Amino acid sequence: MGATRRRPRLVDARLLLLVIVVAAGSRGLVSGLFDDPALQTWSTIFVSITIQALPFLVLGVLLSGAVAALVPPGWLARALPRRAALAVPVAGLAGAALPGCECASVPIAARLRDRGVSTAAAFAFMLAAPAINPVVLVTTAVAFPGRPQMVVARFLGSLLTSVGVGLLWLRLGRESWIGRCRVRAAEGQNRWQSFGATVREDFLQAGGWLVVGAVAAASLQVFVPRSLLDLVAGNELLAAGCLGLLAVLLAICSEADAFVAASLRQFSLSARLVFLVVGPALDVKLIAMHTGIFGRRFALRFAPLTFGVAAASALLVGRWLL
Amino acid sequence: MLLTVGGMALWLGLSDATLSYVRAWLRLPLAASGVVLLALALATLRWGSGKEEEPAGHDHGHGDGGPRSAWLLVVPVLVLLLVAPPALGSYAASRRAPGAGGDPSGDFPALPEAVGGAVPLPVSEFVSRALYDRGQSLAGVRVRMLGFVTPADKPGEGYRLARFNFFCCAADATVYEVAVRGDSTPRRADQWLLVEGRWLPEPVAKATAPSTRRPVLIVDSATPVGPPADRYEHNLFAF
Repeated sequence: MGATRRRPRLVDARLLLLVIVVAAGSRGLVSGLFDDPALQTWSTIFVSITIQALPFLVLGVLLSGAVAALVPPGWLARALPRRAALAVPVAGLAGAALPGCECASVPIAARLRDRGVSTAAAFAFMLAAPAINPVVLVTTAVAFPGRPQMVVARFLGSLLTSVGVGLLWLRLGRESWIGRCRVRAAEGQNRWQSFGATVREDFLQAGGWLVVGAVAAASLQVFVPRSLLDLVAGNELLAAGCLGLLAVLLAICSEADAFVAASLRQFSLSARLVFLVVGPALDVKLIAMHTGIFGRRFALRFAPLTFGVAAASALLVGRWLL
Repeated sequence: MLLTVGGMALWLGLSDATLSYVRAWLRLPLAASGVVLLALALATLRWGSGKEEEPAGHDHGHGDGGPRSAWLLVVPVLVLLLVAPPALGSYAASRRAPGAGGDPSGDFPALPEAVGGAVPLPVSEFVSRALYDRGQSLAGVRVRMLGFVTPADKPGEGYRLARFNFFCCAADATVYEVAVRGDSTPRRADQWLLVEGRWLPEPVAKATAPSTRRPVLIVDSATPVGPPADRYEHNLFAF
């Protein structure tokens, strides 16, 4: 049985078109239904998270498609140090080169893995890229004027997290936990068709799960009053834990979380560092994308591991520098 | 599916409606993403998706048109079409503690020049200076601000002039509020006003103390206006 070329099912496309047209046409009729201010606020936040992520996701899948289709197999594996334990920190540092939203890093890491990069190194890259790129460091410097140690602390904390998770995966991780199978390009295709197919596949998959994450983040933002925070600010360990959890639940883009952290004045700098280190590594948006791209078994294990390592790294660095 | 999302992205990139959700500079990347997705969709229609046959018994939800999760992408499109969510307003403002940012050293640069007898200031900058400027640059200065009305917690207490401020997207928006006194006209929530007045001086907060106080503005004049094209401020200064 050779490879077959399939055209997208027109039935699916027509159904979608029908849904859209009906929705657009009925706007006038249903406008009264959606007037509730809570629903509108939720919708604003949901849409804004999705729209903000969209160009970065497209960039990410373009890059991941390029990795999958245009980079010769094995080249990447040879470019990294052979010893896995060394490849992890190198991959982590390489993350500094990719400015942009966390959403871009997940499809790229998946394709890196397909192309021969060790899983541990791919994860190190995935965790580091959203957290140590220049845009994030600059915004952190602006958000904490007069406190350059926050920038250094954030950089070190996130690098430590990415390397830590990568090395732990080397010791403890099992490939069997990763459940998704990747669609491979058909034989006889030229590189550009393969590129296009990969980009499309990655975008549709990652995009769908981004929506799941955005729904979760918007719901948590609207239904969890921020005044709860004032209660826990006193106790140091509790504060760190709560801010870490908040970072996961709020799913704020890594370019902007420095400003949110700066406004949480009732908390110590160390606790806020936990917020800044955990956020780009793990949040509901990312968990959704991990589930979609690597499988649920993986996400269930990866999430607590990352949270623990990130929080511990932040507390360690905070104790040392802040 | 790609056509839909691509089309949405392109439209958003080209229209002002995006400003309710994200920053203005994102419009070009959005439009570009839209073009990329549309081109990809057209290429797929023309040349087929080119996927290999999947082995039997493998269940991973791959439909012919793409993975099943791709259907979720229709949700934001539907939400945009059906709900057409507006920029964040008084409901969201009432549910959040007001923001308070400022340089911990308490040093602020000089105020901008007065225009037409009053210094125009963003609400977030006014709040920051009022709460944290040890130089008290606002004392005695007539200021002009644009914001929307948010009702006070208790009726009869007057209203607050509010404005959301964000750096990345509406999801990280913080609301800055000013307690307004001296305007006895009843105001509707979410009404946009251009106000002029003076700050009521209060002692500067300590840098580490959380401040949910709202600075007070004694207004001379308040004019209802239409909402601006960009309803948010994007003031880094406020932090």
